[in-house]
Amino acid sequence: MTRIWRKLKSNKAKKTLAAENAIQVEGSLYESLDENLNKLQSIYDECSDVIFRHFFISGKEKALLIYIEGMTNIEEIDNNVLSPLMQESEVLINDVKTMMEKKVPVSNIKEMKTFFDCVQEISVGNPVIIINGEKTGFSLGLSKWEKRSVEEASAEPVVRGPREGFVETILVNTSMLRKKIKSPVLKMHSMQIGRYTKTKVVIAFMEGIADKTLIEEVKNRLNRIEIDGVWESGMIEEFIEDNPYSPFPQVLATERPDVVTSNLLEGRVAILVDGTPFSIVVPTTIYSLLQSSEDYYARFLIGTAIRWLRYVFLVISLLLPSLYVAVITYHHEMVPTTLLISMAASHEQIPFPALVEALIMEITFEALREAGVRLPKQVGAAVSIVGALVIGDAAVSAGIVSAPMVMVVAITGIASFTIPRYSAAIAIRMLRFPMILLSGTLGLLGIMLGVITIVIHLCTLRSFGVPYLSPMAPTKLRDMKDVLIRAPWWKLNTRPHLTGEYNKYRQSSGQKPGPTKGDEK
Amino acid sequence: MIEKGKISAQQMAIMMYPVIVGTGIISVPAVSAEYAKNDLWISPLWAALIGFVAVYIAFQLHKFYPGQTIMQYTEHIMGRTLGKILGFLYLVFYIQMNGGGIRIYAEFVTGVLLTKTPIIVVISTIVLVCAFAVRGGVEVVARVAQFFFPLYVLSMVVIIVLLFPDLNYKNIFPILADGLIPSMRGAIVPGGWFAEFILVSVLFPYLTNVEKGRKWGMISVFSVMMTFMVTNLLILFVFGETTSRYLYPLFTASRYISIADFLQKLDPVIMAMWVAGSFIKFSVVFYALVICTAQWLNLSNYRPIVFPLGFLTILFSIWGVPSKMVESEYNFIVFPVYSFFVQILIPLLLLSIAFFRRRRPALR
Repeated sequence: MTRIWRKLKSNKAKKTLAAENAIQVEGSLYESLDENLNKLQSIYDECSDVIFRHFFISGKEKALLIYIEGMTNIEEIDNNVLSPLMQESEVLINDVKTMMEKKVPVSNIKEMKTFFDCVQEISVGNPVIIINGEKTGFSLGLSKWEKRSVEEASAEPVVRGPREGFVETILVNTSMLRKKIKSPVLKMHSMQIGRYTKTKVVIAFMEGIADKTLIEEVKNRLNRIEIDGVWESGMIEEFIEDNPYSPFPQVLATERPDVVTSNLLEGRVAILVDGTPFSIVVPTTIYSLLQSSEDYYARFLIGTAIRWLRYVFLVISLLLPSLYVAVITYHHEMVPTTLLISMAASHEQIPFPALVEALIMEITFEALREAGVRLPKQVGAAVSIVGALVIGDAAVSAGIVSAPMVMVVAITGIASFTIPRYSAAIAIRMLRFPMILLSGTLGLLGIMLGVITIVIHLCTLRSFGVPYLSPMAPTKLRDMKDVLIRAPWWKLNTRPHLTGEYNKYRQSSGQKPGPTKGDEK
Repeated sequence: MIEKGKISAQQMAIMMYPVIVGTGIISVPAVSAEYAKNDLWISPLWAALIGFVAVYIAFQLHKFYPGQTIMQYTEHIMGRTLGKILGFLYLVFYIQMNGGGIRIYAEFVTGVLLTKTPIIVVISTIVLVCAFAVRGGVEVVARVAQFFFPLYVLSMVVIIVLLFPDLNYKNIFPILADGLIPSMRGAIVPGGWFAEFILVSVLFPYLTNVEKGRKWGMISVFSVMMTFMVTNLLILFVFGETTSRYLYPLFTASRYISIADFLQKLDPVIMAMWVAGSFIKFSVVFYALVICTAQWLNLSNYRPIVFPLGFLTILFSIWGVPSKMVESEYNFIVFPVYSFFVQILIPLLLLSIAFFRRRRPALR
């Protein structure tokens, strides 16, 4: 059986490879300009945005300039390429390379021998010059396209901390990292993913801090990807995860350069994808998904308190509705009597059992949240008004839901917004629904079993070989300083242990400040 | 090797702690109190001796046959046929022990929490959850244990601290009024549970630092002993003479907690502790059972037999014990002897045979 299955699988793989070969551009440049022109025109058949410009070098030698409209800096071409070449009096036919070196004031010029290279260069916006009688073409680094300016990271705002966020252009993003880490130890391994989109993907890591096997593993997993196109890091994420069926994100997606920087310095690897402001950081643990960059900029006592607040509200956002359902359905004796009386009184008028009530309200809340994200901003006000009516007083006075349930749903909603990473928050929010069903059928026992199942699942998860719950399970007491508390910066002396060998110390110990510190010795 | 995961000795200690405490903590004070009266807090001292012996035997056997579980070296020591028979005895014992343990858990849950739920639902849900953990392998079981261990200890400390106002310290007197014998008699049933520490012999081959295995095994026994002593003292201080009349003394004691009219009715905390602790206990025993069965049958992978064995455990749990009365009679009269025989005497026999064989290697 398995053999047949494997055979089928390998057949499939072959088919996709064949499809890729069909669209490959092959062959090296011809000597005759006309032949080159014909071939390139057939490649760019029906591409109205590709411009072919014929010109004569110093009025004698035929030459061809090819570029894509809108991706190329036309002013630069006119002033620095076409005008010097066309006005040149003596032509150095024998040595085109020297001519280009002497006469074309463009910093980035590359020689090309094949059509494949030509197409590559043209595709990224670099104009290409081909001269009659030459088997070599030249690409000029004069690409220029519209890009969004660097703005505040809208998905991860902070009160104190750098405001800038990544943009859609990968060159801007890598330069932002390089601006933060000026050492040449910061490496950027570049590769292309996507059969048609040829998207540039950069693997950034700190040499000597990141584990070598980890870097190799990241490269291998990225190399395995075979896909038509990539335009968001989320697409890559699904290809490189350890457990594809888990609701929990196994990579850290962030649009903040400072987050990427701190993760790089902890020995992690960042994957930047052209076309999206969201970069991926691997490996990650559930605790780094619960940390905000601001924890590290606020005073450490405050940072610790905020962290604990988040842990508490994580549990609340997962369990509060199911606890409420369990108590009101099965375990009346567990609530203080006065509270029980008021709860029972408000629930008396409601036609639904608590389980159904909770499900209705939670689903409505999720729908409202989703609507709020998707709607155009002008309509947003309408959603909040309607939302206030649905999850609010009107729902209670209409006798559809009880007032405590509205409270529970509201607190749960707030709680889920305290989780700083959207992808982690949504996983917890979705797990709430099976938990409500479990509590409606087995009460507190169901909740406990549900929690245990989630913990088992989290314990089996790994992100690039790092256990998802580390340093809690398996316990590494030394790494707890950045999980249970946020230790002050002068105590964060060691890097967290990820996999394999690693660079342990990040700063020297004994840097605790004090009034007499300078006078010692 | 059949299991690719590795755990550390500390993880083993944390896994073994709930194996005894998980189900023991809820009923051990009542059992000890029945024989030891107000000396019940001394009983764990005697019972723990059996635990120390069990860890010692397991470690010595593992020293003779490194990298092997009790299932494998039994065959080496006793020969193939006799070894298989003995191995089968172990399998039956553990499946019955786990079934019995799950029955105790289910009786508690249906007794105090979900009074109308059929017991089979309670039993099968916990077995299902345990099967998930066991399928993950020894690493996952260890990590789950590590995750719940701090919460377990923390909630226990909270209960103890909150019970302080209700304690009557004079209940401890007279100490040793009738000599040592009553406290020793009170140690018989907990001793049967402490014998379960022989399970470390299944975990030793998967340790990264085996040389620390004995040390951490002993630490684990010691902390179980301390836990039982503290709990027994606590219960004694709260209930005094009447301790043995309660089925679940710690659970009842937690209902006494009432601070500022707000912090009260903490029995859900005990319940959660109980479910989490028993879950880890059953998972560890279940894991040992699965590994031993796979080795007994010479399987190359243990994952396919997890669910069948889980199903068998459910059957043993339901059909093995007809009622609550029989269950407690079995647990207090039959199980201690049975457990001592299988988990201490037979390994001791194996150890002595291995010891003599080692001294005269010419015979082999």
